[in-house]
Formats: sequence, C-alpha cells, structure tokens
Amino acid sequence: AAPLKLSHLAIPVKLSKKQQSPHFLYVKEHKVREGTNTTHPANRTLFVLNIPPYCTKACLSRLFSCCSSVQSVVMCEKPGPEEKPKTPKSKFFNLKTVPGFRVAYVVFKNPAGVQAAKSLSLQGPLELSSENHPVKTGIHKWIASYAASLVDQAELKAEVDTFMQTYDQKIAEEEAKAEEEEGIPDKEGWVKVTRKGRRPGLPRTEAASLRVLEREKRKRARKELLNFYAWQHRETKRENIAQLRKKFEEDKQRIALMRAQRKFRPY
Amino acid sequence: CPSPGEGSWPRLGDAPPLQAFDNVEEDVEAEEENQGVSKKGKPLGRKRASAPEGVVKPVKLSRADLYKPPTNEELNQLKETENLFHSSLLRLQIEELLKEVKLKEKKKQRIDAFLHEINTLLSAVPETPETDLTDQSWLPKGVKVPFLQVPFGVKGKFRFLPPAAVKVVGSYLLGTCIKPEINVDVAVTMPRAVLQDKDHLNQRYHRKRALYLAHIAQHLSKEKLFGSVRFTYMNSNHLKPILLLRPQGKDEKLVTVRLYACPVPGFFKPSRLYPSKNNVRTAWFLEQGSPQAGAAEPPTPHYNNSILCDTVLESSLLFLAGAGADFPGMQAGVALLKVWLHQRALDKGLGALGGFLASMLAAYLLAKRKISQGMSGYQVLRSVLQFLATTDLSATGISLAKDAGSSLPSLDDFHQAFDVVFVDPSGLVNLCADMTASKYKQVQLEAKHSMDVLDDRTVDGFQLLLMTPKPLIRTFDHVFHLKHVSKLQGACKKMQLLHELMDRGGNYVAAALPFVTSLLARGLAERALLVTHSLPQAPEWPIGAEPPKHKDAGPLSFGLLLAPAFAASVLERGPEADRPEPREFQRFWGEKSELRRFQDGSICEAAVWDADPCADCQAPAAPFLLWFLSSHADIPESSICYTGAVLESVIRPVREPAGSGEEAMVSIVRSYDDLSRKLWNLEGLPLTVTAVQGTHPALRYTDVFPPTPMKPDYSYHARLKDKESLLPLPEKPCPAYIAPMKACCHFNPGQWPQDKEAIKRVKAAFHLRLAEILRQQHHLLCRPAATDGDIISDGYVFRLQVAYHREPQILKEVVTPEGMLKYRDTEESRQLELETLHLPYLTSSLHGLQQQHPAFGGASRLAKRWARAQLLSDSLSDECVDLLAASLFLHPAPFTPPSSPQVAFLRFLHLLTAFDWKNSPLIVNLNGDLNEADYAEIRNEFVAARPHLPVMFIATPRDKRSSVWTKERPSAQILQRLLVLALESLRALEEQLMDPLGSQEVKMIFRPPLDFYDILIHLNAKQIPRHLEGVDRPVKSFSRGMLKSDAPVQTLLFPVVGYDPVQCYLRELREAFGDLALFFYDLHGGEVIGVLWKPSSFKPQPFKASNMKGRMTTSLREELVTVPNVEAILEDFASLGEGLVRSVEARTEKWTV
Repeated sequence: AAPLKLSHLAIPVKLSKKQQSPHFLYVKEHKVREGTNTTHPANRTLFVLNIPPYCTKACLSRLFSCCSSVQSVVMCEKPGPEEKPKTPKSKFFNLKTVPGFRVAYVVFKNPAGVQAAKSLSLQGPLELSSENHPVKTGIHKWIASYAASLVDQAELKAEVDTFMQTYDQKIAEEEAKAEEEEGIPDKEGWVKVTRKGRRPGLPRTEAASLRVLEREKRKRARKELLNFYAWQHRETKRENIAQLRKKFEEDKQRIALMRAQRKFRPY
Repeated sequence: CPSPGEGSWPRLGDAPPLQAFDNVEEDVEAEEENQGVSKKGKPLGRKRASAPEGVVKPVKLSRADLYKPPTNEELNQLKETENLFHSSLLRLQIEELLKEVKLKEKKKQRIDAFLHEINTLLSAVPETPETDLTDQSWLPKGVKVPFLQVPFGVKGKFRFLPPAAVKVVGSYLLGTCIKPEINVDVAVTMPRAVLQDKDHLNQRYHRKRALYLAHIAQHLSKEKLFGSVRFTYMNSNHLKPILLLRPQGKDEKLVTVRLYACPVPGFFKPSRLYPSKNNVRTAWFLEQGSPQAGAAEPPTPHYNNSILCDTVLESSLLFLAGAGADFPGMQAGVALLKVWLHQRALDKGLGALGGFLASMLAAYLLAKRKISQGMSGYQVLRSVLQFLATTDLSATGISLAKDAGSSLPSLDDFHQAFDVVFVDPSGLVNLCADMTASKYKQVQLEAKHSMDVLDDRTVDGFQLLLMTPKPLIRTFDHVFHLKHVSKLQGACKKMQLLHELMDRGGNYVAAALPFVTSLLARGLAERALLVTHSLPQAPEWPIGAEPPKHKDAGPLSFGLLLAPAFAASVLERGPEADRPEPREFQRFWGEKSELRRFQDGSICEAAVWDADPCADCQAPAAPFLLWFLSSHADIPESSICYTGAVLESVIRPVREPAGSGEEAMVSIVRSYDDLSRKLWNLEGLPLTVTAVQGTHPALRYTDVFPPTPMKPDYSYHARLKDKESLLPLPEKPCPAYIAPMKACCHFNPGQWPQDKEAIKRVKAAFHLRLAEILRQQHHLLCRPAATDGDIISDGYVFRLQVAYHREPQILKEVVTPEGMLKYRDTEESRQLELETLHLPYLTSSLHGLQQQHPAFGGASRLAKRWARAQLLSDSLSDECVDLLAASLFLHPAPFTPPSSPQVAFLRFLHLLTAFDWKNSPLIVNLNGDLNEADYAEIRNEFVAARPHLPVMFIATPRDKRSSVWTKERPSAQILQRLLVLALESLRALEEQLMDPLGSQEVKMIFRPPLDFYDILIHLNAKQIPRHLEGVDRPVKSFSRGMLKSDAPVQTLLFPVVGYDPVQCYLRELREAFGDLALFFYDLHGGEVIGVLWKPSSFKPQPFKASNMKGRMTTSLREELVTVPNVEAILEDFASLGEGLVRSVEARTEKWTV
C-alpha cells in the first residue's frame, strides 16, 4: 500500500484463501465533537470504511474480536449519526437492507480494542470466510434469501393484530382527547377549531388554500366586463397580434434549428 | 455446456459506431450530479437549467417588440399565412424545403453553358450512307444498339443525318426541376429523310430511334466534354432508349442531360395510331413466313402510345409553360408534389407517376378551375391530392383535349385499351399508359391518407408527408418477392397473353404484371385492402454494353395491406350451389373448391385453407398467394420469397411448439378473468371488492414469453413443509422460471385508517384474509405475504396486491412547521402510484388496443425482444416500449396502422431513429382521450420545461407532464446507444428483407455486438432458468424440474416463484458497483453479462470518507488519491456469483491510470 499520510489505516481483507487481491478496510478511531452523538462512545469506537458487500455484521465482529471483545457493530450506507427508527422494528414491514459497500461503527467493550485494531493493518490479508463460519455467496445465498422471503402466516397475522390493536387504541385516545378539548378555550382564551366540531373549519392543506385563491380569482373575473370600453377592444387586438408574433418567432427559431441540423433534406 | 457455436453466427454489424459512449464522460458526470440533486427533492440545480445546444427555447420578446404597432407589410404577411397556409410554421417549412430542392441560379448558368456545347456538337455529327435496318455493320465496335432486337429481321432503310432541331423540353425550362436528380430533357428531331412511310409498323421507328442515338453516342463519347455517356430506357420502357450525357469533372453529379430522338412534327398520321389500331403484325412478331389468312390482328395501344408521345414533346412543353405562366404557386406546388411522389417511390420505373405527369395533373386542375392563380404551392399540392383521392382514373378517365372532336378517339376507347386513362391536350396520348390499376389504387390511397394527415391539426403534416420516406418494406404489412422475373414468361404462356406481349414489344414483365396483380386482388378479396407491386426499373448501361434484358430489372416485389378483420380468415365462401355462378368459382378455385353447408343453413361453394395454424398464423395469406400464383400463373413456389413473418421465430414460445404466443396469452387472460370473477363474488370479506386490475404485461398481450402453466416435480426440489413451499436445490440446475402475474385488487373505500403504517398492516391483513377465503371457497393454493399474496390458478401464479386509492396521497403528506398540510412526491409514493394507478390504466388501455389491432401484441413483443437482445433490458422500461409500440398503431401517419408485427417492428426502429427526442414530446393518445387543445398544452409545457424533463418524453392522457415511464430510464447515453443500434438494425434488417436472393438471416439483428464492453461475465447455463428463450435456441438444455402439463398430479406445494439467480446476481452487482460500472444483460437466456466502466469514476480522486466504495489509495505525483480497486473488484464479480459465473473475461486495460 501507499505510504499513508492519512488519519485512516488500511486493513487488507479478502473473502477466502482463493481470492488474490484484497480490498482495504480504512479504519480510524471514532471522534466526535462534544455531545453530538452518544450511541457510539468516543474512545471505544472504531470507524470502518469500505466494507465489501459480502461482509456481514457477524463477519466484522468476528474479525475484530481478535483485538478485544466487541460490544456492537452498526453498519450504514454512509458515515453520519444513526437514524432512530420511528416505528418499532418489524420482521415483515419496512425491511431495509444496506447493500453494496458500507461503513461501520464497531464498539469495543474497552478502549484497548481500538488501538489493537490499528495494528491489524500490518498483518497479511484477513479472511472473512472461514471453515467454521463460511460466508454464503452466489447460489447458496440466493436460495437462502428466497427461503427467508417466505413468510410464516401465523406470525404475520399475530404481528398485524398487535399493531392494529395499539393503533386503534391510540386513535381512540386521540379522539377522546380531541372531544374533551372541543370548544373549550385554552389559557389565553383561544378556541381550537377542528374538522370534527359543530362548525368545522377548512382543512389546512395546500390544495384547499389553492382552491380558495382560485375561487377568488374567478369571482373577480366574473365581475369584470370584457370589450366594454374602447381601450379593451384595442387591447385584445394588440394581444392577438402579439401572440401571433410570438408564435412566429418561435417558429422561426424552430426552423433555424432544423436548418442547422439539415432537416430539410427530404432524401 | 450445450451452447451454440457463437462464432459462426452473423451478428449485428460487429462494430457499429460506438463513439456515443466514448465521448460521454462529461455527460456521465453531469448526469450523476443531477441524480444526486433530484434525489434530495430540491428544485433542480442551476447547472441543468442552462439548456444544451440544439433545443428549442421558449421565446422571450421584450414588451416593446411585442406590442409595437404593426406595419402594413407585417399585417399582410400574417393574413396571407392565415389564408394560404395552415400555419406560419408550415409556411416556413415549405419555403425551406423548396430552397433545399430547387436549383440554384449559379448552377443553372453552368448547365446552360453545357447545353450550348452539346448543341454545337450535335450539329457536327457526320452523316452515314444509307443501309438496311438490319445491316448494322457501319456502326463501330465501341457501341452496341440500345435495343432488344427481337425478332431481328425488319424491313426498312436507315441513314444518319444531323438533327433537324435540338430543343430543351421538360421540367428544366418550367422551373419545376428538383434535386436530387437534375435532369434536362433535350429533344433531338430526326429529319424527315431518315424516316420512311411505313415506319410506324413493327418497331421500325423504334429501331431507327435506337440507331440514331447509337450513332450520336458513338460520336459524343469521343468528346472530352463528357464525364460519361450512357444509355437507359425512358421511364424504363425498353422500346424507348435515351442517351444520358453528364459533364466532365466535378460537375458530373450536377446534371444529366437526356437526349430523346423524336420524329419531325406531322410525320405520323394520328389516325393510324389510335388505341384500337394494330401496328405490330402477328406473323412478324412470331417470325412466321406469311400472315394467317382471316385472323384479325389485335390492337396495340401501348405500342401506338409509345410512338405518339414522341410527337407531342414540344407541344406539351408549350402547354405546361402556358399553365405555369404568372403563377409562382404552380412551380412550387409541382415541386412539392414531386417530393411527395419521390418519398413514396412512385416517381420512377415503368408505369410511374413521374414529374411530367404530376405537372400535367396540376395543369388539368387549372384548366378545370380547381386551381386558381392566386394559390400557394401548398394549396396546389392540396388540390392535386384532393383530386387524386376522390377521382378514380381507372374507371372514369380525364382528358385535357379542348374540343372533343369526332375524329379523335373517345375516352371509352382509351378505357378499353388501358388500365388508367389521362389523355393529353392533343387528345391522342394516354399519359398513364403504362400504369397498372393497382398502382393507381396505391396512389389514390396515398392521396387519401395524405389528405387526412393534412386535415389533422395534431400532427406535423409537413414532416409526415414530405420528409418521411415510405419504402415498400416499411409501408406494407406483408411483402413478397418474385425472385426471378423470368418466371413471368411462364405466366404469360399460362394466361395466354400473346397479344399483350406483342403490344409491349415482348416485355413479359409489363405484359403479365397487371394480370398477376388483379389475380391476387381477386383471390385475396376482402383480406387485403391493397395489393401493389414495385415498379420495374431499368438500369443505365455504358454504350459499349449490350442493352439489359427484361429479367435484368431485378426481383419484383409485391406489397399487401391487410384488412385486420379478415386477414385471418381461412375460408372463402362462394355462391350458393343452385345458382349459375358456381362454375366461375369452381374454375377459379380449382381443386380447393368444395360444397359446404353453413350455419345459416345454406349450401355454398367454398374454398378452405387447412393451413397449419402455428406455422402460418401470422401470415395466413401466404399459402393462398402461393397457391394462386402456381396454379393460375405457373409461378413455382420456389421462386417466391415471402417475408411476412420471418421475425416471429424469435418470439415463439419455448415450451409448447405450437402457437405464436398470442394463444398462450389468451388463455392467461381467460384464467385471470376467471380469478377476478371469483374475487368479486367472495363472501366473508369486511369490505367488498370494487375492482381487480391486471398489471402484468401478459394481461395486455405484450409479454415476450408469456408464462405457461407449470407443474413442479417434487423430487427435484427441497421442501419447506410448514410454509407449503418448494425450494431450489443448489446442486441441481435452477428450476424453470415461473413469473408471478401481478394484479391489483381495490376495495370500496370504507373505513381505512389514514396512517401510512396502519394502511400497510391493513393490507397485509387483507392478503391473509383473502388467502383464507379463497382456500375455503375455491380450494386455491395461496401464499399471502405482507405486501402481496400469491395465488395459483390453472397452473398460473397470480400475485395479488391489495390497493387503497388514497395511499399514495397519504404517503405524500408533509406537515410544515406552520401546520399546513402539503403534498410532496416521495420515492415510495411514486412507486405505489405507478403500480396501482398508472400501470392498471396502461394495461387496460393496451388490452383494448389489442382488440382493435391484433398485431399490436406481436409488435410490442418483437420490440422488447430486440431491446433485450441488445442487452438493454434494464435500461429501458417495458412500459416505455409498450407505449412506443402503441403509438405506431394509434398514430400511424403517414402509414396505415400496421397489420403485421414485422412491419410494426420496422416502424418501431424507424420511430426510434427518426423522432426528434430532443425537441418534441411523443404523444400517445390512448383511448383517444386527448383533444387538440391538450396536444398544444402538452407541447407548450414541454418546451417550457425541457431541461428538467426526461430525455425520452412520452405523454399519455393521464400523464401529460411527467412521462412516468421514462423518468428514470433510459439515460441520455443509453438513448444515444439505443438510437445507434436501432439505425444499424433497421438498415441490416431492411437489406435482408429486400434481398430475396440473399440469406434472409434476420436473426443477426438480435445478436448484439460484444466488442465494446470492458468486461464480459460468462454465466453457467445450468443456473440460467430462462436459458431456452435465447435468440439462438440451445439445442440441448437442462431438465428444470417441471412435469408435463398433462401429468396427472395435483400441485399441493407452492413451486419456486420468481426466482432467477441471474437477476439476483445483477441486483447485487448494481448495488455494489453501480457507481463504477454499468451492467448489461439479455433477460431471455443471455449467457453473458456485459460490463462497462464509467470513465468518470476512474479519475483519481482525493480521499473522502463518504466516497470510498470499492476504492483504494495510491500515490500519484506525491499526492494521495483513490482509485477503484479493480483487481479485487474483478474477483468480487466471480465470488458474488459463485455457482453462476463461469468466467470473468477482462477485455481492456482501460483502468490503468
């Protein structure tokens, strides 16, 4: 490898013994500005770049466990703070896998792991797939993922049912709360108008406000008299000629373009 | 491995121009930037807003310019445009076109000088002594008589005397002479002393003409003035040779001067040459000693006409000059008409509607006051087309003769003698003498269509009528070639056409052609709207060569326009048995005719074609034709080359040998309808089903290889008992591919939750419930999942997706900090809208289209097969190809809607290459829902927003401004590549189809060039489930674990559905290396994946934590940079596809920086 004048260190890895040329993992100690991120503790986290597609979480954790025991591995598409999932994790919905080359945050149980990991760069290429823990690729992997894509109906049903129960409960609570607050002024004396109450207000949507504007415009246009004054008459004529001119200019441009492309040679 | 020897097949031009890809480096980058920007959903970057060159931009005129008071001149101009032309654009277009085709003044001067020199040379040609006509020994060796002297013996004496007059005639003087072939016609008058009294008899005059020209040719050929001196036949009529003179040097291409020899005026007595007169004696023609006593001589109208038209050369010119005087619109109109004819290949050859005839037609309309002198060229063109469209000259001829003097022959006399009648001002010459009735029918049909186009305000009439060529092969649904025209000699014998042969001077092609076409028209009856033929064309030849024989005109091609409603009928119902007509019917149909009893109880004569339904289903007309030609015209089947359905072999289904694939889809649709009926009537669902909408291509008849019912072989799979499913086994060949057919199921919008996560759960609950009920009530095998549910019905796998119409809307909701609810497209909402809104609409519209145009499905399938064979399956959406194919049927102008997939495919290729994707939206008016105003709106918005729109823009009634099916793909580079490939394929294919003597190896356009890929990944056929669908079907493949369709087994476990290892592999490759390379593959059994590096990612880049995918650091000029780790990536290609990849072949060293 080239002499690195870089904060990152390169660790060569390859899939198995068969592979000749390794990929390089680029690692460095994870540093953050004060108080921005708490999921990856500053002194115990190793930041890893360029993880090959066949390398799984388990692989990575096994790889670094030779340095020190690994607490957790988080893989993501690009560096940055981890996004908190808004909805509870599900086995069937919003399945999102991170494909291709990724980055990872490896959290060791103690800070020594980070330092030890840095020394890996000096060794020969590490192998991701071993006899005890083979990494599945190709046909084997695809068959496995096909099998995994077949869902267990009972399990799915159970999950859907629990979700809907909590959802219904939540909606019921919200409705109850809204009903309670209906028509009751708050501290400063304002009454909140909702869609539900006795006198429902307009929904606050973009479409609705556009509709209102449109209606206003039409109303105004209806009131106006066309071709009533002489100047209006003149104006329409002028407008007509202007339109024709504009069209003519556009056509001329089109023709010039076609001429330039020799589009008028019939054969 | 049972793969065919790839090397031995001809492929599509092994190295078509690929510069398209080499100079896109910057584009790639630009595109990537754009993608990056648009993904974030922000308004697109400023960079893109600067439109590229060659794009029409919206016009911005300053207020002062826009509203300045108009001048008188300007007002006049605007008014004139409004009155005389369709639109200002049309006016400008026509002006430009005329500028392009008309002769420049400077060139005219050069031509004039050339003509003067010819004139002096002609008067200096020396005399010769008088000899017998048959004694041609005086003619030097260097020149051959340009005449087929059969029979040779003829009476009469010939001597050469210098011409009595040399005059320029024809279009050059009238100013209607247009490019590309500038011809100047010069009439050379033979002096009276050359001619003798009985010269009109037995080709004597014609031979004298030929000798006269031969002598001139021999003398002129010595002059340095000429670049070439050659002969040809006037309008390909072999009785009338003419001499062609071209100037020396760089002017050779400028002009061709054509010398016509003609008699001195008044030499022939007109009454001897009336259409009913005989001037070729049977005894002479057959070389019999003495005439048979008492036998009446047949009239020889064509022969007479060929003499007469020489006598009126000058008077015609004067007549036309008179018509064109003070009438600039006439010149322009005739020039436009000539362009129109040329684009339709109607203006050349024997029996053509040439420029002279076109001028005469315009003059006729002027004489009849259908054209007035104030008209513009466009209006003249329009009037002539209108006239042609509404007048049948083969039934009611027209005459330019002023007074219908009693001495002149009547129109009826002409109709007796000729197919098409248009008599010239002298009242003697039929200008359309050589035209066949079927050719005129074609002209008439063309004119009719052109009028429709001109009246349609939604299309660019100019482009369609005057700029689009209509070659035979692309115009007609079916085309067949007569490989050897000499076979028509036999036809003449069989049809007893001796008199016609005499009349035509032994030209069997001209004699037999009208009869053959009318025979075909009668036999095909209502199956064909039009039967026409190509015009036989005589070549040019050097003066030292023998004149070409009749057979040298090359193969003759015939074109059929099929009537879709009747094209497939195999039964010809004749008259009832108890009437006198059956005789005639029996004679015509010969052994094919038999008595049949019909459903309505009548007993009729009928002819039935028990054609093999699978081999000929696309071309049911073919066996008819072949039988006619061989039984009535003695033309053997072997000399006919029928190219109606040659291409269909690449889309023939794999599993069942029979059928074209259409039947398979019909049975799918039937099964689908059955399933949807079951869904409608389900009991026990919380909401009722309101609609079931199919979205799979097979449900709109455009799936290249429609799914077939499958019965899996259990012993071949692993079993997953608790999920009632089968699994593939890694060591066995991959099981046959079973495509799930998607359909959407809508419920009445009752109490759906209004939260996106909850909707997903409810949908899953519906899938579960549907499966349960279907299992109970109909005993169907079901496998529900969260996002959809699979159902097996009749051996097909349907994938049912519950849809809620407001879901996309809910996915779009965004609440602003002020509490305002806004709607913004997201990736998810767009995807859902495509699947549940746009795709069902498209599918049902196209399903309807297929009912109107049975060829639609085949056309779309061929087009898809082609695009995929070119390894572009993933670069172009299926729906985009479907829409392109649909546009060929909905907007066929200037053609007629195609009735065979093959012609539609040719037009598809042409559409790709000829359409101006940069500046125009392709508007596909599905169901006819768009009106004129919509068209204008779409066009205006397109121009205004062009830089932000996809490179290929297709608008439909429900998608006027975003072109949903081409939004993501194709990219600019892929489109470019597609166009290059289409151009090359079209050229290669048309060449093959128009060359009946060639190999007819049409599959070559489905074999992609592989030269330009950087890396080829060769796959193991064992793991390609669709291996058998390849263009060159492998002779042997693997057993793929499916039982025969009639095996007595009930399927109780779910087969492996939608599992294609190659697709899994491609997905992984694109996910991992999509930034570095493009991957190309043929979905239908391709054995190779082409990989192309993206040049932009191979530029060394500085180290960036966010951009280290598959890269490694290296030092370049003391600097630390990153480059792709190519060696490792190549090994990744192999290891990611373990078991599937046979080898990775690196072909270039491009990446070495």
